[in-house]
Amino acid sequence: MSELFASPFFGIALSVLCFWAGVRIQKRTGLVACNPLLIGIVLTIAVLLLFRIPYESYNEGGSIISMFLSPATACLAVAIYGKIQILKKNWLPILVGCTVGSFTSILSVWLLCRLFGLDEAMTVSLLPKSVTTPIAISISGPHGGMVPITVVAVLVTGVMGSVLAPLLIKLFRVKDPMTAGLAIGACSHAVGTSKALELGETEGAMSGLAIGICGVVTVVLSLFLL
Amino acid sequence: MKIICQIGVIFAVCWAGQIIEALLPFSFPASVISMVLLFVLLATGGLKLDHIREKSDFLLANMSFFFLPAGVSMLNYFDVLKSTWVQLLVICLVTMVLVFAATALSVRFTLYLLERRKRHE
Repeated sequence: MSELFASPFFGIALSVLCFWAGVRIQKRTGLVACNPLLIGIVLTIAVLLLFRIPYESYNEGGSIISMFLSPATACLAVAIYGKIQILKKNWLPILVGCTVGSFTSILSVWLLCRLFGLDEAMTVSLLPKSVTTPIAISISGPHGGMVPITVVAVLVTGVMGSVLAPLLIKLFRVKDPMTAGLAIGACSHAVGTSKALELGETEGAMSGLAIGICGVVTVVLSLFLL
Repeated sequence: MKIICQIGVIFAVCWAGQIIEALLPFSFPASVISMVLLFVLLATGGLKLDHIREKSDFLLANMSFFFLPAGVSMLNYFDVLKSTWVQLLVICLVTMVLVFAATALSVRFTLYLLERRKRHE
């Protein structure tokens, strides 16, 4: 029986099922906090623990799904290319905002990790947590971070960002839609972008743009800082 | 066949990214190189959006699903998380607010400077 769970089909089917359940739950409740990915991860882990299925068996299928991360990251280029007109017109504020945002993220995470006395591996896992997951794990992995911790931190940050975005816009009195979009994208990447799209088209486009640019800026910064 | 070609194009770009990563003297993630490469190809007209549209829509629309296995491997790290989850949540929240503020304020300041220069001219 146990070798049947080691079939790649099992891992893929289980992942799709749990993700689908997550999508349904979010539709039902309408809560941003019920992020489909978050629910999917929790459900999959629950099934594996409940039926005592070894992680290695699950990962036969899981690793095939993970293989699509790299092409998906590359396709962010298509999303950026779609906004090339806005990018050309406002390249300076966009570049400045994303650079300052990425730098603030890395610096503040590093300081807080020191403050809490977290070890090196944990710090590296958290450093890229404000950028989109595929880029974040490609920074934390090679530098000795724990990839799953990075995935969870990115996700939690994204969910917090999308929940708090309307509040933050009021708090910092952001009136310009471009500024709001960039700020949302810089702090909470793709999860936040879905919220930004609800706020308006400009907000959504800017937020999407910030994902890609903050990603590249963070990678470049990490070359010098790590 | 159309979709097969699109998969071929995108995977080829990803492979090219990995080749460049291996050749670079410093470590730069292959996926980000592929992203830059794809952007350059689109911007220079070497590749038309029609060559990859359906496949890239599929990948972008389902992006979050592809992270599920990476998140599931968290179960190998339960003991680390048990002792640090409070700190993790605090770090995520505080830095998220800081990044929002820093980005918003710097964009606003840049726009203000640009506006002022325009008025001076």
